[in-house]
Amino acid sequence: MKITEQDLKNISLLSKIKIDEETSDSLIKDLESILTMVNKMDELDTSKINPLTHPIENTQTLREDIIKKDIEREKLQELSKEKESGFYLTPKVIE
Amino acid sequence: MSELINLSLTDQIIGLADKSFSSKEITGAYLNEIKKKESLNCFISVFEEESEEKALMADENISKNKARPLEGIPIAHKDIFCIKDKKTTCGSKMLSNFISPYSSEVFSKLDTAGAITLGKTNMDEFAMGSSNETSFYGNVLNPINEKLSPGGSSGGSAAAVRANLCSFATASDTGGSIRQPASFCGVTGIKPTYGRVSRWGMIAFASSLDQAGIIAKNAKDAAIALKYMSGFDRKDSTSLNEEVKDLQKEVDADQEHVIGIPKGLIENIKNVQVQDSFKNAISILEKDGAKIEEINLPHIEYSLPAYYVIAPAECSANLARYDGIRFGHRSESVSSLEDLYVNSRTEGFGREVKNRIFIGTFCLSAGYYDAFYNKALKIRNLIKSDFDEAFKKVSSIAMPTCSDSSFELGSISDPIEMYEQDIYTIPANLAGLPALSIPSGTADEMPIGLQLIGNYLEEGRILNLANKFQKLTDFHEFK
Repeated sequence: MKITEQDLKNISLLSKIKIDEETSDSLIKDLESILTMVNKMDELDTSKINPLTHPIENTQTLREDIIKKDIEREKLQELSKEKESGFYLTPKVIE
Repeated sequence: MSELINLSLTDQIIGLADKSFSSKEITGAYLNEIKKKESLNCFISVFEEESEEKALMADENISKNKARPLEGIPIAHKDIFCIKDKKTTCGSKMLSNFISPYSSEVFSKLDTAGAITLGKTNMDEFAMGSSNETSFYGNVLNPINEKLSPGGSSGGSAAAVRANLCSFATASDTGGSIRQPASFCGVTGIKPTYGRVSRWGMIAFASSLDQAGIIAKNAKDAAIALKYMSGFDRKDSTSLNEEVKDLQKEVDADQEHVIGIPKGLIENIKNVQVQDSFKNAISILEKDGAKIEEINLPHIEYSLPAYYVIAPAECSANLARYDGIRFGHRSESVSSLEDLYVNSRTEGFGREVKNRIFIGTFCLSAGYYDAFYNKALKIRNLIKSDFDEAFKKVSSIAMPTCSDSSFELGSISDPIEMYEQDIYTIPANLAGLPALSIPSGTADEMPIGLQLIGNYLEEGRILNLANKFQKLTDFHEFK
């Protein structure tokens, strides 16, 4: 399986992680060898098999709709470096 | 007091109850040993003062006959489990400043049972790795031979148990992260059935595969620890609402066993020492009365490729939450929102984590979803069906835990070679089955493990079989 420079750009864009030029060659090598290993799956005909997303068949359990104060907003927001009046701050998005 | 740290959990519980020693003594002894063996790098954080205070409280409870089941027992948690008001790093720079606002269910349950948390153990970054070398905090050393890897990702937990730094340690297993380090360090490790232990507050890697478990000195100790960690939790939507069996009782019960060996498995074990030790282990169990049956797992060889699509796909989705805004590493060099996302993630994640996010992103992207992700899910179904069929005639399945014993730190740079570490352990995660590793011999003077896989919710049966094996052998004794 071949990975092109364009593939790498798409992956970088979608995952929001920068790929610097110095590492891109070795990254392509790693990704290609992983995908080549993964391609072994093609040996199997799975056209009549259903996909299994989860190992356990479990019915979603619902809980009572009761307000609890397990985690407080203020405590959660302490974890952010930039916040103000209960809001999280980011760089400006509207000019 | 150094002999206290050599005791098994079972003996520590007895000794505390009959007041042969106090929790203060045993906790102090472990804290000393942790300091003495700091160079092993087993711990990311140690809670010295708090442990000492809790030990005094435990001794008071014991003296008032109010002892809880694990009262005063010093343990360690893998740094993947959140503990309220404590740093929880998951071995990553991304979470190096993360003070958890809540506690994981695993911590809460063991804390409620009376255990004392000595500290949090080192691990591969976000549990992605098989050598502990991807940790932002540096790798752990194998206590048996410090040039070698302790395995991963729960290398800190396995090495801490082996080095007598705690009675037992919690760990997590997505593709072998409990069993492989247990094998490399000569200790006992169990990953229970998917859903048996709550994942609430355990930092997610691949949610349909992740399961919390235990690393301990022997099967009996693991059974006790797991008993107090298991159970239904409404906060985890995949938690199983099933009765928790008394594993402590079951581990010692008189049970009959039918052990399945996959057809062609033994001939295909390349390492002769691993092959011989496996055959030896099976013959020991057979002589003890277990029946041996050949079983068919025709699709098991597709486990590794299917896993390396499913796990990265789920990882790329789970790790999308690290955006630098609400918690975790936030980049300083930022001029736009896009910069904030990209720079925080680029600076915060290490190479292996990035590789897995890239693979997952690629496999889930338009045009590739069916060929990779959907295909892998179909293979997952075939693998699960193979196991369902096999468990109609056997009560457990035996395999080696790993192809080899531990390797030198820094000696594996090829990702595929590293991924192949988990070739025997991944199938149980894909099917959600309980599986454990117990020491069963050595290769190149380092321990190797025997893996026992059980049917759904039958961790008691494999623990029972493991306990039988440990009564007949001394591979699990620390020499």
